Amino acid sequence: MKENVLVVPCSGIGKSLGSVAREGAYVVTEDLCPEKTKLLPLALIVLGEDETRAELSSAKAITIDGCVRACAAKVVEGAGGTVARALQVLEVCRRYPDLKPSGISELDENGHQLAHALAKEVKELVDNMRGEVTHA
Amino acid sequence: MPELPKKKVGVIACSGEEIPEGTITRLAVRQVLEALRPQQTVTICLPLFLAGGEGERAFARFHPTIAVDGCEKRCAARGTEMYSGKPAVSIVVSDRMPTDSSDLGNARRLSEAGMQVVNNLADQIARQVDELLELEWDGRSGRPFESAKPQEESKPAQATCSCAAGIPVETLQVAGKEVTLIALPVIFTQFRGAGKLPCNSTKAELIEALRIYNPIPHEDEAAYAEAIIQKYAAFCGGGN
Repeated sequence: MKENVLVVPCSGIGKSLGSVAREGAYVVTEDLCPEKTKLLPLALIVLGEDETRAELSSAKAITIDGCVRACAAKVVEGAGGTVARALQVLEVCRRYPDLKPSGISELDENGHQLAHALAKEVKELVDNMRGEVTHA
Repeated sequence: MPELPKKKVGVIACSGEEIPEGTITRLAVRQVLEALRPQQTVTICLPLFLAGGEGERAFARFHPTIAVDGCEKRCAARGTEMYSGKPAVSIVVSDRMPTDSSDLGNARRLSEAGMQVVNNLADQIARQVDELLELEWDGRSGRPFESAKPQEESKPAQATCSCAAGIPVETLQVAGKEVTLIALPVIFTQFRGAGKLPCNSTKAELIEALRIYNPIPHEDEAAYAEAIIQKYAAFCGGGN
């Protein structure tokens, strides 16, 4: 049985891109590939409890950060996890220059579209990591 | 007193992505920052205590802090205490909820009942902010009473995030130990701007200014004073 991929979004609460990271993680883990992925809350990793460390060491992680501080990637690495890919929402933004998100508590339509675009990229990464390449 | 970032109440949400209560903390904290107490509050992302620098880790030592957690694991409160400073107030959503957790919706989309909990929690946080700042609030105008402690700013209201705008700190050696002092860079800049030379009288003034933001143990005061005045002399001589 192939192991699940951990998806760890940042907890960004001050900028729209943090909300895009969070929403994108939900789209991947709930809609696009719920059977292959698991959302792991960053706050739990910050505490560094044994149970969370064990979970981190048992699977590879894709981190999604909303800003260059890269909290998700740094904290996962610091806790002994394996970051298979550290995504920055800003990178995805550059590929979709028309989608300028706004809103933090409630993302606007651009934000939701960007989250879906991000989620599709994460899904491809997940499929690649599991040897299930779906694109041509 | 140095013009540091204005002392506000720091509000830190766990933002737990797995459970609706985590989303409730996030939305309630945003409501406080954006609408209820925008001038009096500031936030920081919890993981920045680990991923950031000393400036971020000084957050809870500089701001009285309210940790808002979704569940009894209390990641925000414990994480803040572990990496920054003990929160002045710790609120756990699941402790105070009149509604059954299953009625809240899910972490991604809260139900109407979940949103009601958000509103109640935001009010509760705002009251705690007022208590910490000793503010008396005029319910009709939505502003502090004139007699209340001044917290005004001339800038328009906007929610504030401390990300990438940490408290200014500097680390120096005191009696063989490394200590991090909050506000030291700002105090140096102000003292130099006021034309204060690195002499004995300035040394005493520096210690007094630093004591506002940092605990300086009485028994180590002389060692602190010596280290600080040397640093200040270098600062003045270096043309920073």
